[in-house]
Amino acid sequence: MDTTNNKQRKQISAVFSFLFLSIIFSIQPLSAQDGAKLFKQNCAVCHTITSQKLVGPGLAGVAARVPNDAWLMKWIKNNQEVLKSGDAYAKKILAESNGMQMTVFADLKDEELKALVTYIKNPPKEVAPMPAAGAGAAAPVEKTVNPLAILLGVIAFLVILVAILRGLSHSLKNIKREKEGLPEQAKLTAWAELKVWMGNHKRTMVLIILYIVGGFLAASWDGMMGIGVYQGYNPSQPIAFSHKIHAGDNAINCQYCHSGVERSKTAGIPAVNVCMNCHKGISKGPITGTTEIAKIYDAAGWDPEKGAYTKPQKPIKWVKVHNLQDFVFFSHQQHVKVGKQDCATCHGDLTKMTTATQMQPLTMKWCVDCHRKTEVPGMKDNPYYESLHKKLSEKFKNLPKDEQVITVAKMGGIECGKCHY
Amino acid sequence: MKKVTNIISLMAIVGGITIAFTSCSKRDANSPGVEYMPDMYRSPSLETNSFSVVANADGTFDTIQTNRLPVAGTIPRGYMPYPYTNDTAGYSNAGKYLHNPLPKNDANVAEGEVLYGKYCVHCHGASGQGDGIVGSKLPGPPPSYTSAALMALPEGKMFHTITYGKNMMGSHASQLNEDERWKVIMYIHKLQYPNGEPVKVADTTATPAVKVKAKGKKK
Repeated sequence: MDTTNNKQRKQISAVFSFLFLSIIFSIQPLSAQDGAKLFKQNCAVCHTITSQKLVGPGLAGVAARVPNDAWLMKWIKNNQEVLKSGDAYAKKILAESNGMQMTVFADLKDEELKALVTYIKNPPKEVAPMPAAGAGAAAPVEKTVNPLAILLGVIAFLVILVAILRGLSHSLKNIKREKEGLPEQAKLTAWAELKVWMGNHKRTMVLIILYIVGGFLAASWDGMMGIGVYQGYNPSQPIAFSHKIHAGDNAINCQYCHSGVERSKTAGIPAVNVCMNCHKGISKGPITGTTEIAKIYDAAGWDPEKGAYTKPQKPIKWVKVHNLQDFVFFSHQQHVKVGKQDCATCHGDLTKMTTATQMQPLTMKWCVDCHRKTEVPGMKDNPYYESLHKKLSEKFKNLPKDEQVITVAKMGGIECGKCHY
Repeated sequence: MKKVTNIISLMAIVGGITIAFTSCSKRDANSPGVEYMPDMYRSPSLETNSFSVVANADGTFDTIQTNRLPVAGTIPRGYMPYPYTNDTAGYSNAGKYLHNPLPKNDANVAEGEVLYGKYCVHCHGASGQGDGIVGSKLPGPPPSYTSAALMALPEGKMFHTITYGKNMMGSHASQLNEDERWKVIMYIHKLQYPNGEPVKVADTTATPAVKVKAKGKKK
């Protein structure tokens, strides 16, 4: 009985001490860690904790620059009020940032402001640099063996094997002849022996020759069909842009950069201002570090030190991958906006590719094949196609069920003049 | 016995030739391949994104971008000038006088949602809390749409920000036309007020300094 009482008492005291401690902790002033979190949430968009200028000035040593801490807190909370009060220092920094005003943070509480100022005054020590940026790039190089080397090795092995076997067979034959009391036979050269063999196997030889000639013809036909077809073309680009990082890892929609795809014949290569929408803030990539992103800054004329576009602009010489001949008309708008085709249908899964590769042959056969089997999605519900759809379904209603599908080809999508005019 | 050797040797020869024909060396990724009549691809006329050589008056040559900048002051057809300047005054004026000319209906909001998914979501996040994948990699995340400052943001200021950019955000005018910007703003309002927007009392005291009628492209 006594022990149970003791147990209960212990439990009760434990609960009370827990409550007491939690109250103590909850009324503790916000720590520097909260300051770091608040800074990241509210300030880091425009300010760095170092001396580097982002949108607003860098905050290293700001406590020494401003009149006092109370002023800084007032400024952070509502800089408009400080400006209105005619404060001399406020006017000075407004002029320094070309009249660009800071956001008002009216909903920050006093202790939050205190935590922020504490954090700004005591910035964390420089974080150790990330493990070498090239670590990802320096992944173990896969050793690939050239298939040709394997083939040559096999051939060499077979030649040696044949030579040994020939020698063996020759000496065995001679031993046999010796036993039978016949004179030793001279060893023929390999070529002479082959000639004898060919003379004895005329039909086989004809087959072999036919096979070789046929092989050559087939290979040259194949080679000729590939002339002017760029499939597999995967040129390196002036900036090591990775589609995998942008469209894959960061899940940025293709159209963010290729925004012309629904409005124009061409999907478009983004101008460097589109790169800068994110790279103004992100100057270090996971694979190449700062080197490749510095090339964007160079093209855009962006000075990361000053945080302004002060340098001359230079165009980036991207290499065009997909190239249709001038005599064929192709519109991205038609295929993506109306035809609702996915980018990957023609361009492959770019979220897994580094540089863009031409995945499809882009030959006329390829176009026509697709037009023959693809239905225009949403055609039934699109009022624009209403009468056409009615007419066509009437026309094809006597065909077998699987041929009634109204494909692009049935709408006239393989007429010559549709693409060549 | 002899027959077996013959068959084996025949198979060896045939197999060897087959491998020789099918094993092609890996092609150079930087080369488009064999071309016959390359003018089919490389036309004599200048392509848009290429470089061309121009002669200067002093007899020297320059290699410049083929697509030139339009003459200063050129405007596209159907273009409406945006009257608010890219500064603090323009920003506050846009907040006061610039209003959404498009009707607020489900179709427009739905289009706005699609556009938001393409042009905004990677930084601002699907729910608009500033928690997009790219947003988390920026020096600081974009502010949440439901924060006090942004809940009080007038639509004109939103439009101004998308047009010119603000702080870390760049201008999205090259990616979104005016109608599309308004559609995105309608969707942002939906994110801010999932249960419908409160009816605002129209500010009758403000008289627009410049009347702006966003005119979309005729389709």
